[in-house]
Order: sequence, then structure tokens, then C-alpha cells
Amino acid sequence: MGKTVKETPLHEWHKGRGANMSVFGGYDMPLWYKSGAKKEHLTVITNAGIFDTSHMAMITISGQDAFDLLQLCFTKDLNECIGKNKTPIEPGRCVYGAYLNEKGAVIDDTIIGQIDHDSYISVVNAGMGATVTRHLLDHAKGKDVTVTDLSDKTGKVDIQGPLSARILAKVLQSPEQVFEGMPYFSFKGYFDKTSPLSEKVRLLDGTPLLLSRTGYTGEFGFEIFLDPGDLITFWEILLKAGEEFDLIPCGLAARDSLRAGAKLPLSHQDIGAWPFLNNPWPFALPYDARGTGFTKKFIGDESLLGIDKAEHTYAFAGYDLRKVSTCDPAFVMDAEGTKIGTVLTSVSDMAIGRHESKIYSIASPERPGDFRARGLSCGFIKVNTELAPCEMVELQDKKRKMKVEIRDDIRPDRTARRSIQSML
Amino acid sequence: MKEISELYLPDDVRYAETHEWVKIDDEMVRIGISDYAQDQLGDIVFVELPKVGDTFATGEEFGTVESVKAVSELYIPVGGEVLSINTDLDDAPELVNQDPYHDGWLIEIKPDDLLEVENRMTKEDYMEILEGEE
Repeated sequence: MGKTVKETPLHEWHKGRGANMSVFGGYDMPLWYKSGAKKEHLTVITNAGIFDTSHMAMITISGQDAFDLLQLCFTKDLNECIGKNKTPIEPGRCVYGAYLNEKGAVIDDTIIGQIDHDSYISVVNAGMGATVTRHLLDHAKGKDVTVTDLSDKTGKVDIQGPLSARILAKVLQSPEQVFEGMPYFSFKGYFDKTSPLSEKVRLLDGTPLLLSRTGYTGEFGFEIFLDPGDLITFWEILLKAGEEFDLIPCGLAARDSLRAGAKLPLSHQDIGAWPFLNNPWPFALPYDARGTGFTKKFIGDESLLGIDKAEHTYAFAGYDLRKVSTCDPAFVMDAEGTKIGTVLTSVSDMAIGRHESKIYSIASPERPGDFRARGLSCGFIKVNTELAPCEMVELQDKKRKMKVEIRDDIRPDRTARRSIQSML
Repeated sequence: MKEISELYLPDDVRYAETHEWVKIDDEMVRIGISDYAQDQLGDIVFVELPKVGDTFATGEEFGTVESVKAVSELYIPVGGEVLSINTDLDDAPELVNQDPYHDGWLIEIKPDDLLEVENRMTKEDYMEILEGEE
């Protein structure tokens, strides 16, 4: 990989609006805009925010053997991955999982969508397009499949927050039709103007979009893919349409704190070069009904099943908003003061607080009348021992020690899974 | 991020290389962080300050400011004894972002040597340092 820092087509826009920029995944990206990361975080929970996520990479996998290649390389079983009844993937549906190496460690996580029966799209992290493409091609020998790295050839904007659909409805052709039959983890349309699918979702000016009911904040919203040449215009159309809803642009800092509060991992930080096991994301593996084996063969499966004692990853929440610095690094201590692991992510979710031992969010319908969200530290730890929810551990960096609680979940009352109709 | 020309850097305070400011007020001095520092840190959500009566030598760490991004050390630009701390920051740490030189001040100290303030940078010297960091 070259050392040159890349930019998205919105780079000048961000800088021109006074964004605080930083390099992430090889791209110079906005950390926050003038409104500040705290307001951006809160606005996504109460209203809506837009994120430039064009740094993320996209890969298409097509051909007669595309399904077989993904069954081999991707952790989810595409024959049983949709809904509670675990039906096979179908056009317009997408699933979350990971690409592992032979040792069962994570190369990257991804959302894979089926475009049509022989054609798939895989969205991976910034800078990972080439690595994942190479990995797929390494395992494609003798298969009738084409793998194409579309890094920097697609623009991407996420609109996240409860008012997202109302804002989008103002800028789409036939929004009722577009929003009909669009459950969580489904998508419609296509960004390539030559594809017949591109007719399904268009802006009022005719620009085609791939509109996906997914996101990385835990809140209701969409990820939108389009031609990079259309990105700036679309971004400004959205902001204009969202003015009456107090829509604001949001940076990577708010994205990080929102996703951590929503118990979503950051690839290469919370999941990475260690076995993809004993973590809060077991649904990304193709466990059988008994939970002891897998429903298919895939790269890394034997290592995962053969491991004696893997480390455990847990979500935690603290008692105030103070963080530890994970680059120090920060360690995890048990009740006896013995070092049992390290802190993977430590951020503050500024939309939550504790009241009589329970965590509420500013969006919790049952929050106490005098509730004021002062923010709580939260994130993930990786330890060498098994812990249970509500157990306490101590996090320690060079400056401070703080007690935190192991949690099944962090920010309550999230909106990601609400139906579109209930949000219009 | 603010351009250097957009920063508010008053003439009547002195600056440290670690981005604190110090201002003489009779026999005591008041200390805070510069507009540049608050802009770089982003939303400040928590400020940890020393106790009244604590003493520090010049350059020692006297507390931390916690932003959404990171926890950053505060270094005392002039040594002395802490006379008071800005308790308004307990409930409203954002004052440091909104008004870093007035409502968002951090501590007041009785300096060991009042003349030491003169050794800190003027606005012009500080701006030169900032231009170097660009």
C-alpha cells in the first residue's frame, strides 16, 4: 500500500466547512464539524445526521460460482441467513459476517448483499478493498467468478437517525414505492447507470442510487451508494432537504461513539488478528442448532472448532464518561487486581446515563423525568477469562483506574430495527 | 479546524508551548488553555483539576481535559500554589470550548515567581509556533 493519503470527493467540502480532519484507513476524513462530536452524536439519536463514508471499499463478486466462493470465504451460511427462519439469501437482502484466514482470525468484516442470483456486493473497511479482493481471488482458482475491487469507484453517504426516511422521502422519486417491503438489512436500486436495477431508486433529478437499510450507528437509517461524480450534489441535496429536520453532517468521532454504544465492532480494533470466537457477535458465524458445530465448511472453521482456550471479548459500560487511553495501552484487572486483558475500545456515549443502576438514553421512552444524560464510557475488552454480565472489572491506563461493568448491551432503545412505515 | 487567522489569541495573556495561557491578575495568575488547544481537542466533556492548596513546579502536570477524542494532560505554565479552581466546569465543561479565556478558565495560583510569567510566549511568538505545527 502506498503512503499517500487519499481523499474522498467531499474532502474540499469538509475542509471548507471547518471540519477537524484526521487520517483514518488511509483517507483524510472529518472527525467532526463545527457543531462538535457531542452534538453530532446526540443529533443522530434524536433527529438525523449524514456521514461521508466514501472511504469504505466495495467489491463485486459475480459469475456462476460466486455463491460457492462466498460460502468458502465468508463466515455466514448464505443458504440459511435471512430472518428468524434462516432462509437462503435472496436478491435485495444483505447479511453481516467476516472473512477469516485459515487460523480463524479476521481479515475484515463485511456486509454482503445479493444483487441477483450470480452477483454479489461486499462492503469492506477503508483500505481493505485490495486485500480482500486478493484473498477472494486466491481462493477462486478453477471457479467461474469475477472479483472486482470498486475502491474509490463508488461514493457512499450514510444517513442515520429516526428522521432519515422523512428526509429521504423529499429527495426520491416515488418514495412510497421505494420504502415498501424494505426490512432491516435489505436494499434496492443500483449505482451503475447501465444496470436495469438502477431504475428502482432514483433521486428527483434521475440520479440512480443503491439504497440499503443498514448502518453503523445502531439507529434507524440508510447507507447509500452512488457514482462518486454525483456525491457532492447528493450530499448538498440531502442537507437542504434535511434543514427543517435539523439534519447535520457528522464525522468519524460521532460514528465511533455511536457504534460502540450500539455494541458494533470496529474491524482491526475489536475484531482482528485473533480467533473470531467468544465475542458479542456469535451471530456472524454459521452455528448449527446445537451451537457446537457449523452448518457449512469455510476458511477458518476447523481452527475455530479446534481451539481449546480462546480469549473472550466483552462489551462494558462505566459509571461516568471518563475514558482510558487504549494506545497506552490500557489493561483490564479483575477484583484481585490481576491483569486479565486489554481494552480494545474506550469511548464515551454522550447520550446515555445511569439512574438507580439502570442505563437510560435520551431516547428512552421510560427515562425518569429528571434524567439527564451525562454520558458513560463504554467499549470492548479482551480478557483471558470468562466473565458474566454485571461483573465488575477495573480498567487502567497510565493516568487512571476506573471500575466498569460487563454488559450484554450498552445504549438502550435504539431505533435501527424499526419499520420504515413507523418512521415516516 | 480553525485556520490560524481565525484563532482568538488575546494580547493580554502569555502562552506556553503546551498550549496553556497564563494571565497576571494582581498578585495571582489565572491559567487556562488556548483557543487553538480547545479547537484541536474538540468537545471537552470532562475537566480534572487539582485541589486548592496543591503546589506545582513550572511544567508539572496539574490536571487533564477530556474531549470526545482523547484525554490530554495540562501542564502548569508557571509554578505555584493553587488558590482556586473553576468549579463551574463540573457541570459545564463545554465552557472551555465556548470561552477559553474567560468563563472557561481552569485554575488560579499564587506563583512562586511572578516574573516568570514574562518568560512565557507573547501572542506573536505563540503564533509562530502554531504556524510551525500546521
